[in-house]
Amino acid sequence: MSEPKKSEFSVIGKPVALVDSAGKSTGQGKYADDLSAPGMLIGKILHSHLPHALIKKIDASRALALEGVVTVVIGKDAPNTYGILPVGHDETALAVGKVRYVGDNVACVVAESESIAEAALELIDVEYEPLPAWFDPEDSMKSQSNFIHEQRPNNIEKDYHHVFGDPDAGFAVADVVLEGRYIANEVTHAAMEPHCTLAAFEFDSQTGREGRLTVQSSTQVPYYLQHKLSIVLDMPMSQIRVIKPLVGGGFGGKSEIIPLEIIAAVAARKAKAPVKITYTREEVFLAHRGRPRTIIDLKTGVKKDGSITAVAAKVIQDGGAYCSYGVVTILYSGALLGALYDIPNIKYDGFRVLTNKPACGAMRGHGTVNVRFAFESQLDELAGKINMDPVSIRRKNLLKPPCITVNGLRVQSYGLPECIDVVARESKWAERRTKLGKGRGLGMACSHYVSGAASSIIRSDMPHSTVNIKIDRDGGVIVYTGASDIGQGSDTMVAQIAAEVLGCKMNRIKVVAADTDLTPVDIGSYSSRVTFMNGNATMRAAEDIKKRIVAAAAKKLACAPEDVLMRDNIVYKRGVEPVESKSILQKVLGTSPSDKAPTVSGHVEGQILRGSVQQKRKDEGPKERMSFEEAVTSAMDNTGALSGTGSYAPPVEAKGGKHKGGGVGPSPAYSYSAQVADVSVDEETGEVTVHKIWAAHDCGRALNPVSVEGQVIGSVWMGLGQALQEEFVWKDGLLMNPTMLEYKSPSSTESPEIECFIVESIDPEGPFGAKEASEGSLAAAIPAVANAIYDAVGVRMRESPFTPERVLAAIRAKNGQKKIEMTNRVDPTAPHKLREHGGSLWFKGRGPQRHADDPSRKTTAEPVAGD
Amino acid sequence: MSLPTFKLLRPRTVEEAVGMLHRYQDEIQICAGGTDLIPSMKQRLFSPKYLMDIRGIEGLERIRVTPGLGVELGALTTLTAVEDSGFIHKHYPVLHEAVKTVASPILRNMGTMGGNICLDTRCLWYNQSLQWRKSCGFCIKKDGDLCHVAPGGKKCWAAFSADTPAALLCLSAEVNIASPSGFRRVAIADLYTNDGVNRIKIAKNEMITSIYLPESSAGYSGAYKKLRIRGSIDYPLAGVAVALKRKGNIVEDAKVAITGVNPAPHLVPDALHALAGREVNEHSAMVVGELASRVAKPLTTSLLTPEYRREMVRVFTKRAVMAAAGAEFSI
Amino acid sequence: MKKELIELKVNGRRHEVAIEPSKLLLDTLREDLGLTGSKRGCDDSSCGACTIQVDGTPMLSCTMVAASYQCDNGAHEITTVEGVAEHGALAAIQKAYGDWGGSQCGFCTPGFMMTVRALLQRNPEPSDEDIRHSLSGNLCRCTGYTQMYQAIKAAILAEQKGMARGNERTEEE
Repeated sequence: MSEPKKSEFSVIGKPVALVDSAGKSTGQGKYADDLSAPGMLIGKILHSHLPHALIKKIDASRALALEGVVTVVIGKDAPNTYGILPVGHDETALAVGKVRYVGDNVACVVAESESIAEAALELIDVEYEPLPAWFDPEDSMKSQSNFIHEQRPNNIEKDYHHVFGDPDAGFAVADVVLEGRYIANEVTHAAMEPHCTLAAFEFDSQTGREGRLTVQSSTQVPYYLQHKLSIVLDMPMSQIRVIKPLVGGGFGGKSEIIPLEIIAAVAARKAKAPVKITYTREEVFLAHRGRPRTIIDLKTGVKKDGSITAVAAKVIQDGGAYCSYGVVTILYSGALLGALYDIPNIKYDGFRVLTNKPACGAMRGHGTVNVRFAFESQLDELAGKINMDPVSIRRKNLLKPPCITVNGLRVQSYGLPECIDVVARESKWAERRTKLGKGRGLGMACSHYVSGAASSIIRSDMPHSTVNIKIDRDGGVIVYTGASDIGQGSDTMVAQIAAEVLGCKMNRIKVVAADTDLTPVDIGSYSSRVTFMNGNATMRAAEDIKKRIVAAAAKKLACAPEDVLMRDNIVYKRGVEPVESKSILQKVLGTSPSDKAPTVSGHVEGQILRGSVQQKRKDEGPKERMSFEEAVTSAMDNTGALSGTGSYAPPVEAKGGKHKGGGVGPSPAYSYSAQVADVSVDEETGEVTVHKIWAAHDCGRALNPVSVEGQVIGSVWMGLGQALQEEFVWKDGLLMNPTMLEYKSPSSTESPEIECFIVESIDPEGPFGAKEASEGSLAAAIPAVANAIYDAVGVRMRESPFTPERVLAAIRAKNGQKKIEMTNRVDPTAPHKLREHGGSLWFKGRGPQRHADDPSRKTTAEPVAGD
Repeated sequence: MSLPTFKLLRPRTVEEAVGMLHRYQDEIQICAGGTDLIPSMKQRLFSPKYLMDIRGIEGLERIRVTPGLGVELGALTTLTAVEDSGFIHKHYPVLHEAVKTVASPILRNMGTMGGNICLDTRCLWYNQSLQWRKSCGFCIKKDGDLCHVAPGGKKCWAAFSADTPAALLCLSAEVNIASPSGFRRVAIADLYTNDGVNRIKIAKNEMITSIYLPESSAGYSGAYKKLRIRGSIDYPLAGVAVALKRKGNIVEDAKVAITGVNPAPHLVPDALHALAGREVNEHSAMVVGELASRVAKPLTTSLLTPEYRREMVRVFTKRAVMAAAGAEFSI
Repeated sequence: MKKELIELKVNGRRHEVAIEPSKLLLDTLREDLGLTGSKRGCDDSSCGACTIQVDGTPMLSCTMVAASYQCDNGAHEITTVEGVAEHGALAAIQKAYGDWGGSQCGFCTPGFMMTVRALLQRNPEPSDEDIRHSLSGNLCRCTGYTQMYQAIKAAILAEQKGMARGNERTEEE
């Protein structure tokens, strides 16, 4: 489409409230756990207390004897394996023969109430044979036996080795080369809504037996869920309906099939009644699928003028006990070294390693975040080495789009230069940086992200999104979209695009979303694909239906179809002033509709137009303009309800290189972000205070600025959590902080001001030019803070999060002050290994029955700290 | 998570409550605000047969000033009420400072002074669900015989993690304890045992009914500094309270207490000695910090390392002393 | 355990419910009264998603035993998020949260509604610091809180202008 000026839009680019916001602020909106069904039972899952063990026997007889217990489900009730990717199908609904982490799913009690089910969990007797367990990925990679999955020797889920250009030659011509190890500790989504699934079968009227299954679940991917349910339950997909109610945040944590979703369905089948399972907060942490602990060995070379000559990265991800999205995560870590800056030579070695801990998966900024922390930190350090300003070195290495990067990524719209300019200007980078007092500093970093993957994970040529629109005689526009609104506002985006294309007001649009019975396939809300892909599909569906309306309107307006314009509920001839609908009503009715009741006025209009006014209008001759309803009514005079459909599949040119693993990274468009952090560091306590973040984000076009700002601020904020206070703390496979009290998701008190600047690069293929807005800004926040800490106190933090004890340890070391062992023997400026919680545990013959070769039992008790 | 089943008791008078305590001894738990007890019950740290909700007892929620004697805070006075009390703010600033750091505003609406004093000790190996504790083989504080933070030890090192008792120690506060045989008054300083399991010297048939702040402690300047990761919600990983009485700028009396780093809150001995008879300066404040850090015995009961916490006791004490002297330390 | 009959006063109406004595107020509201607006986000009284008001004071319904809050001589008037809308329209704060992006996923929103409502009832003109401080017992994972501050200020302005329906951004047909 040709590029319309912003002023030409009536809905796009305007801040609108999310279409479901009133339901959220009144409590009327329903999330999965708010639902119930007649005869519903409650499921509770028994989890493994051992990290790695064979299950010798499960005896549920005592549990079944408890009054109110209906059934107990175990692994063999549904042994089919599944996984989210086409490879690595290593999960079962409940453990079959073996448990692989503390928290693995062993059995599920179905009972009349939560308290009965909880009591019954204590009555299930499980006999285990412990196996040695693997907790450190670098140890795990060296394993020769006791593999976590037999088909994965050395516990390596997947490794990739990519070379683009000539890295050796690149390093050879560099003036400065830096190498360093960076460690990013594990973080999780911690969405406010704990996962919940309600599964219910209905009887088949023909056979009289158990028939269709309906699953209502807190998911980002209803169609994948439908597919995996079909595999595990051995049922055709046509017999399974998945409905996504309101979802209380996902961030990737609901972007694959979470065990309870399958278990609830298996349990409902066995219990012959609807079953609801809601995770406790601890179970949410154990289901996890968050961002893995990552070890990054990074090497970068630059010339004296700042231009990057080569990058080499070796990345090890501590993936946990199952594959999950792991193969994709490790590929993203390498692929998105490209597409931000112009890097001529790239070497990448990625290892996704299995360990006996909860599975890691996709989390906001999937795969890119930790490597970006390392890269932007090292770039900052290189700038220092060549006496170049951190802003200048980034400007020096910009891409020159349209282009294809050395690793095969096609870049078209590229707002990074403007993003850098904006934050440098707004933060007064040049003026303030040298004038900040002691202990205060500014740091800059950039990041980017895909607007959906050009190749979907289902290995099929089908469109990634399809949208249907129906308009019936009431003039209401119903958009059927498979897009899953998880709070990011996709329903609103769909409504805005449909309204803009059809030239009607937002309140005429009703969005029906994410119900596999009603809505066409959309592969889900992940990798920031929805606005780009489902938005494009919505646009095409709306254009499809618009053609028919325009054809009918053209006759009435006595003009060519291309001269029919639609806007703000008015259909009019080109060259004629579109006037507000209320003026038309005034003419028709001779009265003025009340300004105070806009929703009522629409209703009144509809009533009238279906009756006498419509008749009256038919008698009039050719006209210059008409209402949306009149145009719609005339279009359906002979056909009945109008329907339109539209699909989106990414273009072949965006699908990237042919190398192994080349399908991950390519996207039809990339978002860009630049940030400046202003921080203070308390040199006596190591506490870091972020005063402000300036964040500029190139989202192509902001369809709904208030939403874009919310997404960008939310991303930066979540990045700050990872930068400063969030981490999974482990001790020998035991998660020490599986609670909202101890996992430190930031409260309002320590959340700084984040100012968002929207940069619009107008992507040639995005809907109205729009691209991703919800993930790309997260990654830059972490290195921006790290670089600001360096600017403030001269210590280079290479291990995240930058907790006060880590920062203080680094400051002490730098100043040569009295050394205090605050970081369990891991130097946060040169971390060499993953840090465990300091408590001692499991010495011989006591505690849980762990295997004698378990790392937890081999090491001697650590010295008592604190004295 | 549901609560374990119990029978709810709602006494209307202290006598009735103490009678119930006497009758059910090991099978009863007192619930005031519930902010610590209820989540602990969900985790099956407590499964009492009877839960005694004492919020219905008349007269235990007021702040009463008696000229010449001091202030009596009813045990059920909410932390918010103490925080909002202009009288406390003016005359007992260290308590005001401490109370406003407790948990979050909503939790302070529920939590009570009595409850804060009686708070259970905390440890990362203890404050976990039943399922979780099974994975670590339990611990000596509950259901097991291991200590994970002091291997081989028989003593529980769970950290006393309430904020206000540190302030109360500085104010020489006393508590009024009701029992079937009447009332007794105990200095806060004599209330705790420094044992993570049996943390407090209150018999099973007794309950705290009020807290006295002596008039002689009124007018001390004060400060409370708290180590935590979040600016809200969190329990203290270390806390330091300081109360100073000065004539001009010369210190006449000084009390320093720490919390969150031992199984009990502790007064720092010799703090007065380091400060008395002169102006507070950075050096003397540092000396007190050193003294305080010697009292601190943090172990790996929390996410931050013991070494860091002890170091922060030193730094925070120094800052609290400076702040109490009106010389707020700026970073 | 055997159920007992108790009477609760919620959003101005009296309800008799038969519940176990150990049942949490949050579960009673959600399961027995169908008031699912209050949410469970954690199990350790730290997230604030279940916040309700008792006699105007915000409290965590996940940390309260329902039978302890029986209506009693005018005490224990419980208000949940379902009781916030006024006269058939969204309260200013509810409208503003939509307009200004105060809600994204919305799961924490009911808790914030109860906290903010109590704040504004007590202090109609809070400072920025008052607002930040008073929200600190409710966790949000989407917004970073920034847009909530804008929403709250807009709601205050709307109340001052006497516009119960929020700001001027209302669509007109």
